[in-house]
Amino acid sequence: MTSAFDLAFLRRIGWPLAAVCLILLVAVLAPLLAPHDPIRMDVVNRLGTPNWLHPLGQDEYGRDILSRLVYGARVSLSVALLSATIAACIGIVAGLIGGYFGGVSELLTLRVVDIVLCFPPMLLALLVVTMLGPGMETLTLVLSILFIPGFARVTYGEVLSTKNQEYVEATRALGAGSARILFGAILPNIVGPILVQFSLTVASAIVLESGLSFLGLGVVPPAPSWGLMIRGARGYMEQAPMGLLWPCLALVLTIWSINQLCDSFRDAVDPRSGGSTRGFWTNLRAVLGMSSRAAPSGAVAPEVVLAVEGLKTRIVTPTGVVRAVDDVSFQVRRGETVAVVGESGSGKSMTGLSIMGLLPQPAGRVIGGSVRLATKDGRIVELTDLDEPALRKIRGEQVAMIFQEPMTSLNPVHKVGTQIVEAIQAHRAMDNAAAQARAKALLEHVGIPDPARCLGEFPHQLSGGMRQRAMIAMALSCEPKLLIADEPTTALDVTIQAQILELLRALQREHPGSMSVMFVTHNLGVVAEMADRVLVMYAGQIVEEADVATIFARPRHPYTRGLLDSVPKPSHAADTDASARRRLATIPGTVPNLALDRVGCAFAPRCAMALDACRQGDPPLVDVGGGRRSRCLRWSEL
Amino acid sequence: MSPLLEVDDLVKHYPVRKGLFGARKVVRAVDGVSFTIGKGEVVGLVGESGSGKTTVGRAVLRLIEPTSGAVRFEGQDVLTADPATLRALRRRMQIVFQDPYGSLNPRKRVEDLIGEAYDIHGIAAGSERRDRVGELLRLVGLPAEHMRRFPHEFSGGQRQRIGIARAIALDPTFIVADEPVSALDVSIQGQVLNLLADLQERLGLAMLFISHDLSVIEYVSNRVIVMYLGRVMEIAPSRALYSRPRHPYTEALLSAAPVAEPGAKQKRIILKGDLPSRTDPPSGCVFRTRCPYAIADCAAVVPPLRSVGTDHQTACIREDIL
Repeated sequence: MTSAFDLAFLRRIGWPLAAVCLILLVAVLAPLLAPHDPIRMDVVNRLGTPNWLHPLGQDEYGRDILSRLVYGARVSLSVALLSATIAACIGIVAGLIGGYFGGVSELLTLRVVDIVLCFPPMLLALLVVTMLGPGMETLTLVLSILFIPGFARVTYGEVLSTKNQEYVEATRALGAGSARILFGAILPNIVGPILVQFSLTVASAIVLESGLSFLGLGVVPPAPSWGLMIRGARGYMEQAPMGLLWPCLALVLTIWSINQLCDSFRDAVDPRSGGSTRGFWTNLRAVLGMSSRAAPSGAVAPEVVLAVEGLKTRIVTPTGVVRAVDDVSFQVRRGETVAVVGESGSGKSMTGLSIMGLLPQPAGRVIGGSVRLATKDGRIVELTDLDEPALRKIRGEQVAMIFQEPMTSLNPVHKVGTQIVEAIQAHRAMDNAAAQARAKALLEHVGIPDPARCLGEFPHQLSGGMRQRAMIAMALSCEPKLLIADEPTTALDVTIQAQILELLRALQREHPGSMSVMFVTHNLGVVAEMADRVLVMYAGQIVEEADVATIFARPRHPYTRGLLDSVPKPSHAADTDASARRRLATIPGTVPNLALDRVGCAFAPRCAMALDACRQGDPPLVDVGGGRRSRCLRWSEL
Repeated sequence: MSPLLEVDDLVKHYPVRKGLFGARKVVRAVDGVSFTIGKGEVVGLVGESGSGKTTVGRAVLRLIEPTSGAVRFEGQDVLTADPATLRALRRRMQIVFQDPYGSLNPRKRVEDLIGEAYDIHGIAAGSERRDRVGELLRLVGLPAEHMRRFPHEFSGGQRQRIGIARAIALDPTFIVADEPVSALDVSIQGQVLNLLADLQERLGLAMLFISHDLSVIEYVSNRVIVMYLGRVMEIAPSRALYSRPRHPYTEALLSAAPVAEPGAKQKRIILKGDLPSRTDPPSGCVFRTRCPYAIADCAAVVPPLRSVGTDHQTACIREDIL
């Protein structure tokens, strides 16, 4: 381990560590720091007010409060840390074994833990104290037993969810034994929740120590402890309220520091954590300052349903600002299917979400451009100007959206029927019976075999294909002018995907011109089958636009060409030599980081055709004739 | 010559219980699967979700314990091997996972992720271990300096390369590749497929390549096994399978995959309905409920694999179709 790493590590846990160290130091150096003997009485000066000799005053027996506080830290901290550590060690091991091996060890761990949990803490404490007599050791023992179940439970639960991770399986596949898997692969990944549990335990141990000592079950007077100090101060609360304040304050500060330390320690040991909440807000403020709205140019042509112009969307993260959508302009005409195709991170989904006003909040912001929608009643509405209630009227009624995983967009605790009825009634004044009937008709329409039964089922009771059908039924409930389909078949099997694509095509055929579709996908096969026109996106920009036949036949952007070439195609194997291995064409390199500043064409680093000019200026999206656009300086050579 | 891997009547049933007092049932994840893989041969295993293809891959490596059946690797019984034998076996059979995010321990540096293989088997330590890891990284197309990084600092395709490096660290003779490119973008998918094909050739690896994507399978496999609902529907040399599928399910699967050529597909077989319940599969042929060619006899017996050509077998009783 390098020293640079250690320094960075220390800096990240910074002041909480310093605070805890300070408190520990005070406890260790108590004999040097305390100005007086903590148990020496001075009855003449009982309840003496603070003075130079006794900065915090004196208690009911005239003992120095500061000294008792300093010595009390020793007792409170050692009891708390010791019991939390013992409980953690036993609890973690029990949880690991029970969770990983299952069977008898699982049963044993869980039942023993349950039995301990059944005991009221006070009862257990009383029991042990009567058997062993009060004192610090007894107290530590009682607290350890009390806290074991917490650690065992947390560890057990985390192990259950972690042990089926592929990296655990990978370690097993390498031939690792159980001990290596448990302590090398599983434990480091569940250390976060365990640390949180530890900090909570230390805190509650200190409080419980105080509580038990206060009841006379813990530390025996006159030995100083914070709990005993509170107990003593309660008696003279009315004459000297400050006596109560000091031990309480010490308790609060200590617990707070320990919580902070555990939290920052958890973050520091996780290599993935980076950036801070503060970074996020700074970046967000910067983005809000960027907003500039230019009025859209010209009127919207009558056949156009959606006109997007210069759309700019930013996603704020703690470490930077992602240019998710970067100056995107396109139109969707009536009855047309426009496919937006691109790889992950190309901004295709973000474009759809920006149009719907459904960007993740508060991270996602539209900072420029215009999105105009032709509504059913013939108005042109600027969607970026609308507030949330106005947008809600547009969603579903004018524009509907379906997603990749319908399970995430259907509410799992409501029946399918209830959700569709709700969607209908949100926009239509319809009584329940009428809405029910309409919902049933819609489900039948999308090819659900037993619509009446489907209405009464919960989303998880349907298969993936049926859920997507139900989702489509819901989207169609108010006959929207535009349907935004965001990877609607990506999570489905090919045979089911074929069914859903066929359904979408049939729905559009039924009422030609009534519904336009914006189809967001990464699958070029689906594009070829569904689209009239294609927009290819890369790094938040449209790099090419053309009708579907042209773009597949003759791409005018190197990225489009690379993408088309890298799709494995059926070889019509009969005429190829099976023994000769074919190589797939690929695009070298990876997608650029959109949070970084870039000069020149975003694709240039991966492009075989890139010139110096490509790396200098951002190439514009130019009209290359026949309604096609390309963002390549060398489009004519392709 | 005996095959490298022999799988014989592999069965994996999972007990399930619906509700608190519901009857105990079994999910027949894999229901009597047999196949062999020769030295240096790449066998594709294709099927949709619920076909049991992943379970087969895990059971072959004994990452899950099968209910019954036999797996022999280089003549050695895998399923009855004691821990020491199994550990030795695992040096020669490895796995590449689907999820490039889930398959690398996020708390470990690349050096330790790959080097762990050497620690476990006591092969190399210190600077020798570092050299070997560097060599492996170069082999999969990553700079050796990247070994000090954590997995989250890499893109999906690069992580998959790391996963591959880990799998070949122990010089295995056989690799299960479980959907190794499904989570990757098309442009990256090609890079990883080419890498796998290159390594396969250079190292003479045998491979069980599991995927739901027929076009990907075609690129890498010598032979293809088609699974549906825990059973094998068809086994054939790639060329034969793609040019002339002999099972209705294979035919439907081939026809359902969208092709990146506008207007390419004129006729398409769209299968009706959903996958049947896995706790209560149809009698006889499991595919008959969705099969366009199904006849009454299909419900009677589980169709055995019958030979229809060189190395070509199909589990369909109808000889008059396809």
